Amino acid sequence: MSRLLAVIPQAWGAQALEAALGAAQQVSAGEAFAVVLVSSQPSVEHAQRATRAGAQLIYQAVHAALGECDEPQVLAAAVAEALRAIPRLGSEVPLVLLPPGPQGEELAALLADSLDGQALGRCVALRLEEDAVLAERAAWGGRMRLALRVDNGPAFACLRAGRPRLEAEACADIFNLELHGSLPKALTLDKRESGQRLPPLEGAKLVVSGGRGVNEQGFALLEELALRLGGTLGGSLPAVDAGMVPVLRQVGVSGKFVSPQIYLAVGISGTLQHLAGVSLDSCIVAVNQDPEADIFKVASLGIVAPWETLLPALLDDLRQSLPG
Amino acid sequence: MKILVLLAGVADIRFPLHPISLSSEALIQEQGSPRRLLSPFDEAALEVALKLRDARPETQIDVLLLDGCNSENLLRSVAAFCPDSLQCLQLQPCQLWDARQTATQIAELIKRDYLAHDLVLLGRELGDLDEGSIAVLRARRLGRPQLAMAQFGQWQDGQLWLMRERGTGEEWLLVDQPLLASVTNDRRNKLRHPLMKNVMLAKRRAFTHITASAPARAGLSLSQLETAPLIARGGQCRLLGGDVAEQAKALIGWLKEQGVNL
Repeated sequence: MSRLLAVIPQAWGAQALEAALGAAQQVSAGEAFAVVLVSSQPSVEHAQRATRAGAQLIYQAVHAALGECDEPQVLAAAVAEALRAIPRLGSEVPLVLLPPGPQGEELAALLADSLDGQALGRCVALRLEEDAVLAERAAWGGRMRLALRVDNGPAFACLRAGRPRLEAEACADIFNLELHGSLPKALTLDKRESGQRLPPLEGAKLVVSGGRGVNEQGFALLEELALRLGGTLGGSLPAVDAGMVPVLRQVGVSGKFVSPQIYLAVGISGTLQHLAGVSLDSCIVAVNQDPEADIFKVASLGIVAPWETLLPALLDDLRQSLPG
Repeated sequence: MKILVLLAGVADIRFPLHPISLSSEALIQEQGSPRRLLSPFDEAALEVALKLRDARPETQIDVLLLDGCNSENLLRSVAAFCPDSLQCLQLQPCQLWDARQTATQIAELIKRDYLAHDLVLLGRELGDLDEGSIAVLRARRLGRPQLAMAQFGQWQDGQLWLMRERGTGEEWLLVDQPLLASVTNDRRNKLRHPLMKNVMLAKRRAFTHITASAPARAGLSLSQLETAPLIARGGQCRLLGGDVAEQAKALIGWLKEQGVNL
């Protein structure tokens, strides 16, 4: 049996699958790991992806009543049933990984509670050592690091580790788990359109992001720029607080983690909390009128200029090269 | 309606970090008098409650503020918003890295002292450990449904609705049973400024402390606490010179080189 298991609800989409597989690859460091794919119907594509990422055991845990449900409280019941069906959880599987993000952290905690394990939350490093799980977590705005030790598992954790490397040729043993346990009732929600027209942050190749230094007019320009560049729009926590962008577009330690090829940061100072939401693999382009802004210390390309003059100039040039 | 708001506070990131160390009992020790403020999520939870009271003044708001370094100042800041009650919450033992332990402690206190509260609000991450698991575990302990990432609340025909955004839509929940909601930041819940007269009154207030205890759990321990290492990034920033028009042209040229389809 593998010592590491990744649980991936398929309702959370391809980004969650990639992120969990990336984390499993990093923690396993070449050791075998297992994957539990949870859904209302099996996905050959997701199983293949997990196989190519190095999973050697794949459980397709199917509960017909799940439907499209993505609520951690409901998923937790199905996942707990699946994990109970996998022998020797705890003694031989000390670490269970969930996709990173608020929902993953909630699901990790609920599973730890159901299976009398340990909830490690959002980790920045994880290691398996003999019989223990060693975890590190950021605290105090990323300025301190906590080292945690789990001696009585299983431990449930989230880790952001980027995209997985996929092998062209790989094979895994695939098992089906039919789940029939009762599920808690999901919240009855009245759904309404919010008028969002931009693509989501998840999976975007280019993100144009604005910070505290950009006002409503500036965000309208950033949105147009994002659309013209084929990217999407993000914002820092102060920009969300100010109502410039919805919280769904918040990038940072408490928002989304993005891994675009290019991250165009406009009017963003470059705090640790914000940068924690941008992948180390992303190339940061900084636009800021303050030449001393910390963002220039981590950017690959920089422009010292006020957005009020630079953004209109950029858009004029783009309109000329690509009318409409 | 009775609303309980749980707040934690965080160290102000604009100031140097105060001394923090690990005690011989493997607990976190904080020293000095750091500037502590409400996190954006704490602020959002408090503002949602205040707005509901604005619309229906009979709404009762009770606040628990997690104890920590320099709590007195933070208690005064919160008192200036005139909650019906405000107490400082001490956890015994305080092991915020263990979400199961913390959720048990707080849930037992709520069952004892705040069971009649229809709505429990808290920020979606609790305190300086950015712990995002407390709300969901507390809801489970209390046997209540939970709405995660709530952004806004409003009365409609005498009924309370809470809203969150998902994807391209909004999701509205009618609060027709006791509920717990974790609140996230949003333009509609940016914390107001308190009235100056209430700030002055808060300076003279005394605060009571309340303790939430539970036996320490085994199996998860804090083994080390140290300054975070600097994360190496590419950097080596190349600055684009010239006037704004030249900078814009150079940036577009660079984007084309990177394969951006223009």
